Amino acid sequence: MGNTSSRVTAQDKAILDLKTQRDRLHQYQRRITVLTDRETAIARAMLAQNDKKRALLALRRKKYQETLLAKTDAQLAQLEQLTSNVEFALIQKDVVFGLQQGTRVLREIHAEMGGIEHVEKLMGDTADAIAYQREVNEMLAGQISNQDEDEVEDELAALEAEVNGGAKVQQPLPSVPDTQLPERREGLETPEREEPPAQAERREAMLA
Amino acid sequence: MSTTTPFFFPREYSFPPFFTRQTNLTTHHAQLIKWAALVLAYCRHHRLFKLSLSSAISDPLSSTAEPTSDTTASDLFHNRQLNRRLSLADAREVLDFLRRDGRVEPVDGTTGDVVWVYWRTPEEWAGLVEAWVDETAQRGGVLTLYELREGDATRGAEFHGMDADLLQKALGVLVKRGKAQIFGQEDSLGVKFF
Repeated sequence: MGNTSSRVTAQDKAILDLKTQRDRLHQYQRRITVLTDRETAIARAMLAQNDKKRALLALRRKKYQETLLAKTDAQLAQLEQLTSNVEFALIQKDVVFGLQQGTRVLREIHAEMGGIEHVEKLMGDTADAIAYQREVNEMLAGQISNQDEDEVEDELAALEAEVNGGAKVQQPLPSVPDTQLPERREGLETPEREEPPAQAERREAMLA
Repeated sequence: MSTTTPFFFPREYSFPPFFTRQTNLTTHHAQLIKWAALVLAYCRHHRLFKLSLSSAISDPLSSTAEPTSDTTASDLFHNRQLNRRLSLADAREVLDFLRRDGRVEPVDGTTGDVVWVYWRTPEEWAGLVEAWVDETAQRGGVLTLYELREGDATRGAEFHGMDADLLQKALGVLVKRGKAQIFGQEDSLGVKFF
């Protein structure tokens, strides 16, 4: 128990106290609810016995207890609000702690980077190095003459044409035959369709 | 969480020899197993956490009413339709059998008349509570024991309305595992889950 007891903080105890209080109110409400139910039953019984006075008394008691119930409701709401406030404050505390931690780490990292001057100097060095590199590039590029450059570009154009041309050859689809079918015009009768070959045969026979 | 549906007794319950101690050793063992299962099922159905042996056995002759107190189980050992009942010694033997199984434990401070009936062992209850705490993301939070048993938040949870002492036992299991800590005064105990 010795090392675990440290895990319960004073805040936890305070929250427990609040919650216990809330539970007490809860129990109290239940008790009152039972009482009001009983008073109603008593009033009903008294009315059945034609004892109006006592019925009224019972109802009055019930009324009083109902006001108590409303009061405890308000108190309960207050307690619950307080409890959730405390819990939220605890979370806020955690958030602040987290922010603090994060800021500290961030600052440490900045310190490792060596301050703004250092970064400025570094950026300047980088710019110098880039400029130097560009110079070197220009010097090397100068060795290729303009003529060579033109030839290279021509070759590129030729290659492009080839690639695009090759793609174009594959593109066209076979053309759709556009000759009209004469039979369709003559109508839907099928026997007529079969006639022409027969006539042709006859003609061939006559020729023979 | 009161159960309104009637408890359906097993087939054996309407079999008269079931209420008489069997002499054959094998039969007797089978009888004990049946009785043990019946006791657990009965208590689970009626959500009985404790069983008082003497009141379960010696019920008033005329009473046909439903069990009222939370430790009576008048129709468990007494089949009124058959007019058969288990004798005190036999009932004790059944509970003894359950005790060896870890399903029954004498309540502290009594002479063995009132016993816990663990249709869920404290370990199982602990698991349920822990699962609930996990599910409702209440790790690191403080809850009162009353809240766990009667609060609106646990309505619908299995352990809602369970016996206070048994709940404390179950939480004791969690404490031992280092998952929880019970603190506060005697009458207003709270528990913090880790």
